[in-house]
Amino acid sequence: MPAVQDTIDRVRKIDVDQYKYGFQTEIAMDKAPKGLSEDIIRFISAKKDEPSWMLEWRLGAYRRWVTLDEPKWARVHYPKIDFQDLHYYAAPKSTPGPTSLSDVDPELLRVYEKLGIPLKEQEILAGVQKTDVSEFEEASDNVYKSGRVAVDAVFDSVSVVTTFKKELAQAGVIFCSISEAIREHPELVKKYLGSVVPTSDNFYATLNSAVFTDGSFVFVPKGVRCPMELSTYFRMNEKNTGQFERTLIIAEEGAYVSYLEGCTAPQRDENQLHAAVVELIALDDAEIKYSTVQNWYPGDAEGKGGIYNFVTKRGDCRGDRSKISWTQVETGSAITWKYPSCILRGDDSSGEFYSIAVSNGYQQVDSGTKMIHLGKNTSSRIISKGIAAGFSQNTYRGQVSAHRKATNARNFTNCDSLLIGDQCGAHTVPYMEAKNATAQFEHEATTSKISEDQKFYVMQRGIPEEEAIALIVNGFVKDVIQQLPMEFAVEAQKLIGISLEGSVG
Amino acid sequence: MNIHTIPQRTPAETALIDAFSDRLSLLPGDGKVMLKRDDAIEAIKSGLPTRRIESWHYTDLRRLLTSVPDFDPAAAPKAIAPVVEGSAVLPVLNGVSSAKLPDIEGIAVQRLSEKLTDGSIAPGLDPYGADDAIGALNTAFVADGYFVDIADGTELDKPIELQNLQSGGQTHVRLGVRVGAGAKAVIVERQTGEGAALVSSVSQLLLDEGADVTWLIVQEQPDTATHLAQFKAHLGKDSKLTLFVMNAGGKLVRQEIVVKTTGEGADFTLRGINLLAGDTHTDVTMVLDHTVPHTASTEVIRNVVTGRARGVFQGRINVHQYAQKTNAKMACNTLLLSDDGEFSTKPELEIFADDVVCGHGATVTEIDHDHLFYLMARGIDEKTARGFLVKAFVAEVIEELDDEAIVEALEARLDDWFVAHG
Amino acid sequence: MLEIKNLHARIVDDGTEIIRGLNLTVRAGEVAAIMGPNGSGKSTLSYILAGREDYEVTEGDILYNGESILEMDPAERATSGIFLAFQYPMEIPGVATMEFLKVAMNEQRKARGEEPLKIPEFLKRVKDAAASLNMDMAMLKRPLNVGFSGGEKKRAEILQMKLLEPKLCVLDETDSGLDIDALKIVADGVNALRSPDRAIVVITHYQRLLQYIVPDTVHVLYRGQVIKSGDKSLALDLEANGYAGVIGQAA
Repeated sequence: MPAVQDTIDRVRKIDVDQYKYGFQTEIAMDKAPKGLSEDIIRFISAKKDEPSWMLEWRLGAYRRWVTLDEPKWARVHYPKIDFQDLHYYAAPKSTPGPTSLSDVDPELLRVYEKLGIPLKEQEILAGVQKTDVSEFEEASDNVYKSGRVAVDAVFDSVSVVTTFKKELAQAGVIFCSISEAIREHPELVKKYLGSVVPTSDNFYATLNSAVFTDGSFVFVPKGVRCPMELSTYFRMNEKNTGQFERTLIIAEEGAYVSYLEGCTAPQRDENQLHAAVVELIALDDAEIKYSTVQNWYPGDAEGKGGIYNFVTKRGDCRGDRSKISWTQVETGSAITWKYPSCILRGDDSSGEFYSIAVSNGYQQVDSGTKMIHLGKNTSSRIISKGIAAGFSQNTYRGQVSAHRKATNARNFTNCDSLLIGDQCGAHTVPYMEAKNATAQFEHEATTSKISEDQKFYVMQRGIPEEEAIALIVNGFVKDVIQQLPMEFAVEAQKLIGISLEGSVG
Repeated sequence: MNIHTIPQRTPAETALIDAFSDRLSLLPGDGKVMLKRDDAIEAIKSGLPTRRIESWHYTDLRRLLTSVPDFDPAAAPKAIAPVVEGSAVLPVLNGVSSAKLPDIEGIAVQRLSEKLTDGSIAPGLDPYGADDAIGALNTAFVADGYFVDIADGTELDKPIELQNLQSGGQTHVRLGVRVGAGAKAVIVERQTGEGAALVSSVSQLLLDEGADVTWLIVQEQPDTATHLAQFKAHLGKDSKLTLFVMNAGGKLVRQEIVVKTTGEGADFTLRGINLLAGDTHTDVTMVLDHTVPHTASTEVIRNVVTGRARGVFQGRINVHQYAQKTNAKMACNTLLLSDDGEFSTKPELEIFADDVVCGHGATVTEIDHDHLFYLMARGIDEKTARGFLVKAFVAEVIEELDDEAIVEALEARLDDWFVAHG
Repeated sequence: MLEIKNLHARIVDDGTEIIRGLNLTVRAGEVAAIMGPNGSGKSTLSYILAGREDYEVTEGDILYNGESILEMDPAERATSGIFLAFQYPMEIPGVATMEFLKVAMNEQRKARGEEPLKIPEFLKRVKDAAASLNMDMAMLKRPLNVGFSGGEKKRAEILQMKLLEPKLCVLDETDSGLDIDALKIVADGVNALRSPDRAIVVITHYQRLLQYIVPDTVHVLYRGQVIKSGDKSLALDLEANGYAGVIGQAA
């Protein structure tokens, strides 16, 4: 029947168009057997050639984890995850630890090429093409005008390559995979790993502590401004494999670093688990800017497949006058459970959270932040923009608290939600806890739909409906987009447009 | 977090369960009512809510309710003058209604003990959700109260004051009010007393088409009493409810407000004042369901926190998928005047309809220094100036009620509090 | 160019009939003024021409270059050359005016099978058009219409009209909220667009604008119908004697 065929074609078209990163790659893989046990953890640790203290740390976390239950408070629903039915380690076979690009499997390089991630330094050096939009837009305050970005590429469980290491080393910056850091810089790892997100923190963070396989490590020493953007690109390829990366970023006194993270995964009917932990530490006068564009596979139009994304990200403004800023654009994953937070421990420290969360299809997002004010004169700012379309559920959940000693704590929160269609939901759950009389908190939230008047106006200028909506939505999220480094900003805008395709009925 | 624990029964839980066995033979109710009581005590047996229960996040009842007084049959409070002069008073003294019922045209009053005995109140005893601990406590123990029926088209020129007075022990009271189509009334729910009582009070209000009600809850328990109260209302087509809540007392207070708009054109206004002092805990938790299209709501809560007081406002607005064209706005503003005090706010929006305009705002601040400076520059000393500004901050909410007699009466209550806690 | 035949239309929400058998023909090269008292259906007519979904055509047809446009959505009508200068242009937060102009201009080009404009060419066109309307380029860096004064909004509408080069321009109460200097600038902008292959429909309540944009034809709209048509002298007559006389004659 033609009508049925038409439907099938359409659905197929939506899938392919909407998730252009949905290809799979056939690469010989080295995998751990399915399941989780102390033996598997020993296997992972041995594969990574880790010192014994690291193994003990992992085993401690594992023993804790088996006593924990999955958290239930988030507004997400999914079938019970069988943690014994997953592989906890998968690595491309050709990598006993590549030292240069020539060691990397060419097939793997092609993957990154397809994803548009430049791993060859000479290509990057040639410069990123300027987009035409940027020419007449006001110059952003982005310090990295050159468009040079150092990349750490993580494929399933291992880091395959890190670029610009030499140049960074000259500045004193360490940028490498966490596995390498455990081997090469054990004193730094020992000192900081788990100091922001302890192994006992929560179900997923504890699991991650036991089984994390790779991730990035950044150390910017005292007084150094990192000379370029650092970036990690995560790719989840193997079937039935959990990805558990661990990222640790330390900015010493007066240091500055801007770090970007991007993620994609192939299209699969099964759900894949991703449970990462990111720890940021900023000492006196240091600043860390952490940006994420998360585009894990969200599942198909019927809600089948997609990534379960349970992530613990936390920054510790440990030093006075330190600053941590989170910016995230979340368009992917079937389930997102993620609350990048700031502990404002140092006096005069500040935290920021800028977020765009777009959900379509059957995606479920429960995301937000925590700003914990402990020090004096600390300030925080939260700007969250949620866009729900299709049959999705989009929740902002955020906590702001000022403790007894947090004199003059300041917070400003603004969370706006936009609904597209009448089958989706937008929810706002802010927690505000003030225990200091000099604290000043301000919170605003709104929920509305795209105004018909605005849409009509834009369409009257000849812009088709879907584009008109994308344009208005991009206006709605502008405050957050502006926080992203230029290259990411353009990409993020496109991504939002793609994510909302098919949302107009 | 999330560690498996096997809770041991707290002394308060044990006392409640024992009290139920003791009181059982004295509690009125037909078979249906007694079954509801059994279900309710089962819920209490499974444990009082803790902070793990989302709706009790800031009021860990299991931890905070440290002891439960015995029932005290000798307690004998006396009726007091109503908040608004000339109101018709329906007293409930130590949990017992008066046999002498007022005779007002258009109003039928019935003692609740009768409705328990004949079972006609049974459907109203169901809990409203899984975590309805106050409903369960009240259903288990409620022995009396009133049921008031205001006939269609009745317009009352004087308020009705439902007085729930305690002088120690336990009192569990229920007030039911139906307001007929097009009827208009002002109802005062007075909650006060002198003892270290455990009070549970559940009010249920049903508004028929076009009914217009102003309901004032004036809670002034002594700082030894535990006050667990619930106000539930259904708003029919084109009906209008203005609910005013003033908490100015109590050691452990939780006032729940559960409102549903069930008819198009319904309009709900909540105005609340929490005046918190001493070492007390006060929680106002609202759940508002917009279930039909074209309804509106606004909520404004103002809090003043002094001493070691802890305050909570949780407000959840649920806009159901069918409830298009909902207009909902909520604001919660707090003046935190003491470093030992604290206030927690959770203003939630749950929205499933796309053609809506919903928003909320919340602030926690200290007194505006510019305002203070301005007053002091006019020769007003700092203490007076502060008092002036704090009072103005809450009085604003009262002045919105456009009935002069009510505004005056409430401002008098406000003055009393400021005199006692200035 | 535009032919409206026995048009009946109502508000979708409540079914109120606003347009009740309207007939109107506007030829290429013509400037037609539509006048009428408040509530006669003037703005509704402009919305229906542009394809607003709040109105439903129940009878009759609108032909544009001989073809019905009733099945076209607003964007399709716009790319076919119909432009509406709004009485109340919408504010769209976060959307940079320049970005918006670029997207809209390229949609027009796409419809004509042309390549997107190169950035320098785009900038040149915008600068030239803005200069002719006495507009500051700084204004165009702001979000679309956000924080613009009433006069700035109207000027921005005419700027868009110039840049999109439509064939049928509909100006809905463009004079409202403009002081005399701004009015002259806007009128000059419109007059500059007069050409043999373009039609302009000026909807206005007052004769004021028509002193500067001199119409070829004047039509009086009342209760959803054109009750009288004439040349520019009709406008002067209305100004002098009010609508009552014309309405009286029609009744």
